[in-house]
Amino acid sequence: MARYGMMIDTRKCVGCFACRVACQMKNTLGPKEGFVHFEFLESGTYPDVSSEAIPMQCMHCADAPCEKVCPTGATYINEAGVVLVDANKCIGCKYCMVACPYSVRMIEEISGVVEKCRFCWDDEMGGPNNPSCVATCIADARVFGDLDDPNSDVAVAIAANDAQPIAGDLTEAKIFYVR
Amino acid sequence: MSRQMTRRGFLRASAASAALASAGVAGLSGCSSAPAESGPKETKRVATLCNGCSNECGLWVNVRDGVVHTLEGNPDNPKSGGRMCGRGHGFAQMTYSADRLTQPMKRMENGDFEPISWDDAYAEIAEKLTGIIAEHGPQAFAFIRDPRPNINFYGPRFTAALGSANIYTHAAACNLSLQSGYRHTIGGGFSADLANAKMVMFIGRSYADGITPADMKTFANVAVEGDCKLVIVDPRYNNSAHMADQWVPIVPGTDLAFLLAMSHVLIEEELYDKKFVKEHVLGFYAFKKEVEQFTPEWASEICGVDAKTIATLAREMAEAAPAAVVEPSWRAAFGCAHANSFMTARAVAAFNALLGNYGQEGGALITSSPSLGALPADKFPTPPAAQHTRVGNEEYPLAVQGFGTNLAVLKAALEGSMKAVFFYQSNAAKGYANPAVWAEGLANVDLVVDIDVQMSETAMLADYVLPECSYLERLEAVYLLGGKTHQVAIRDKAIDVIHPETRPADQIFRELSAACGVGQYFDFTAEELVEAQLGTIGLTIDELREKGIVELPTSDFKYGKVPTFNTPSGKIELFSVTIGRAGLSPVITWVDRKVHPQEGEFYFVGGKQSIQSHTMTTSIEALMDISKTYDLERLWMNAADAAALGIAEGDEVEISSSEYTDTVHVHVTERLMPGVVYAPTHYGGSSPYLTQGYEFGICTPNFVPFDMEPGVGSTMSQEVAVKIRKVGA
Repeated sequence: MARYGMMIDTRKCVGCFACRVACQMKNTLGPKEGFVHFEFLESGTYPDVSSEAIPMQCMHCADAPCEKVCPTGATYINEAGVVLVDANKCIGCKYCMVACPYSVRMIEEISGVVEKCRFCWDDEMGGPNNPSCVATCIADARVFGDLDDPNSDVAVAIAANDAQPIAGDLTEAKIFYVR
Repeated sequence: MSRQMTRRGFLRASAASAALASAGVAGLSGCSSAPAESGPKETKRVATLCNGCSNECGLWVNVRDGVVHTLEGNPDNPKSGGRMCGRGHGFAQMTYSADRLTQPMKRMENGDFEPISWDDAYAEIAEKLTGIIAEHGPQAFAFIRDPRPNINFYGPRFTAALGSANIYTHAAACNLSLQSGYRHTIGGGFSADLANAKMVMFIGRSYADGITPADMKTFANVAVEGDCKLVIVDPRYNNSAHMADQWVPIVPGTDLAFLLAMSHVLIEEELYDKKFVKEHVLGFYAFKKEVEQFTPEWASEICGVDAKTIATLAREMAEAAPAAVVEPSWRAAFGCAHANSFMTARAVAAFNALLGNYGQEGGALITSSPSLGALPADKFPTPPAAQHTRVGNEEYPLAVQGFGTNLAVLKAALEGSMKAVFFYQSNAAKGYANPAVWAEGLANVDLVVDIDVQMSETAMLADYVLPECSYLERLEAVYLLGGKTHQVAIRDKAIDVIHPETRPADQIFRELSAACGVGQYFDFTAEELVEAQLGTIGLTIDELREKGIVELPTSDFKYGKVPTFNTPSGKIELFSVTIGRAGLSPVITWVDRKVHPQEGEFYFVGGKQSIQSHTMTTSIEALMDISKTYDLERLWMNAADAAALGIAEGDEVEISSSEYTDTVHVHVTERLMPGVVYAPTHYGGSSPYLTQGYEFGICTPNFVPFDMEPGVGSTMSQEVAVKIRKVGA
């Protein structure tokens, strides 16, 4: 089985929110709900400045803190390493929201389920269905695929760019950033 | 409105609380975590064109059970390149907005709007319009549109059918100065061959803010993986700047001085392409003599870029030539911004000429566009040409003919000679010039009709508002794409009409023209028009529907071939008799900006944001949630300026100009030149019908005095100085 992950190149990212809105539609979220949010950084002093937009979403940690604290087993890690939520088991206790060091879990207003990015996992397909954040990215800043396949685009890109998790070894994250 | 169309499947299937009933949607087809509804979903894919901005990117719409689920960029389309921006995704949601117009409206004596039937609206509009034309002549009627292929067919046809030449686009508030400058210098527009260039300079233009997805993708890949030097010349470190090799902050409205000085360096140091200039340039010696005085030191005093940087950039461009280019830009810094915008565009074209880059790989490309054959005359008779000169043409003769200056209509309205004005998807009264002046002008007009999908600020000033169905609910005239390749694309109907009392443009013009007695020019359906258009190039609608876009064999583009310059002389005109006759300097020279901030005042610049488009997307909840969450309405101010005024991040300030005073919160940043403040150009909505954007942020045109650029009639959107004061200080 594949082990899915992503690389995000913030050198390219322009913080345009296309990923957030495409994801909202794909995952039928409300207009104020999003699996993707942004951190905007600015450094330096005029005129020697630089800026960075960092898209944040579920890092699909192999040691997911949210999964460990879930009292009902609603949050689970599937065979492809994708962290998912079983809506039928979620009681909306929000432990996972507190446990997530990246603050990327959110409550779906209508259902009360605490949701998150699922790499567009599709049960019927038994795999990710063309993750919309990657498919729509206007700056070509995202690469997705099987981390275990050394020839996959994502594995090649991570190796070539020495991409790293956003917070080092805080968790065993499967989103790698080039900054 | 039909609320059931905007609620998610979960709500449809459950007893939802009243509070939830008002929840909007981003995802439009079912709640993500709800148990799956029983039975298979009926799905289809429709190829169409986005309508979120003028790019009209090709996209695929995925429809589930008759409701739009997702959109994807069409990889065959050169604008989207298979990608879609955030506003494109968000714009689809307008279709399901609770704020949409759902029936024709008429403004009553007391200013309120009341529903009116289509038949009554047509009859009343026709009676007034034909009466006005009978009394004042067809020159008292004008039509203003945001130019898209469909209305580019129907608008001019309708105007001509009624005998009027007064057809305009929104360009006076967009790229009129720039396109007119290029028109009179190199014969038309050009594009930068970014993918193959060694050095590209962007003046005011930011691909990350005014987005064409395919260009953004090229920019990002060239910037990060390529070896092309990218230079951003902009008072603001815009959202493309982090990828560039160099940011050159510049005083707003002085790009012309910078360009003239770079030209001075190339000529003085004999770094220009002498062979190209000799063969293809008219007026070089006049230009050479003119720019002798425009040294980098002279320019530095005006534009704030140091002389050494100007000279170095000019030399680097010459070194990289012909694979070096000053990018053409769009609205940005000289589309319509200043008194010298037309001349600035001329100077861009001239500098590229000195580089000898026209038609060269990595340079400035002038490409052709495909055309359709003549439509069958029996079914599609052509209205006779109008017998009067378009209002504005005499005073602003340098404006590109296909655009005209719509502000001439405003001027005529203020003077009382314009009696009927139609707008199509065109929020002129909010964005084309000072809104208070538009309100004053349109109050003088006997008949104002607006066709739109929502109650824009312009619609609020109309006597009749005719609701069109959204772009996802209609088939339109074909879209021809020029460039290195030629293509034809289609905007198709992806879903059924949601609100039964909304109608597509083809039906509105067919019915309205019949009421006006000129129905013979519109006696066909959209489908018949598309079939006839495609028939002239040997295609059928089914062939086009299959992929949404079809390549045509008509392009003759070849790298290395110097293009034909469509000017009177057939050469690049650095000296133009036409421009001289219009009362402007025939040779490219320095023209100052008009308004200079005095002590304690700031330059005021505007600009686009990635998720908004003009003022029309501020009704979309998912996009406005981003604007509100990330405080995107804030006024940018340099940190040192802010400190001097005791202003901290998020503080509320009063901003005032000669025209207007408002309050807004401040974003303190190092990403902006001192002495300049920046505000996005989307906000400050004043239509209470558009609940999401109502009174959020400031409306930049409010601050700008009504004025028009000599020669072309652009709005001069940045000819203003503002004072800033901390509220409560």
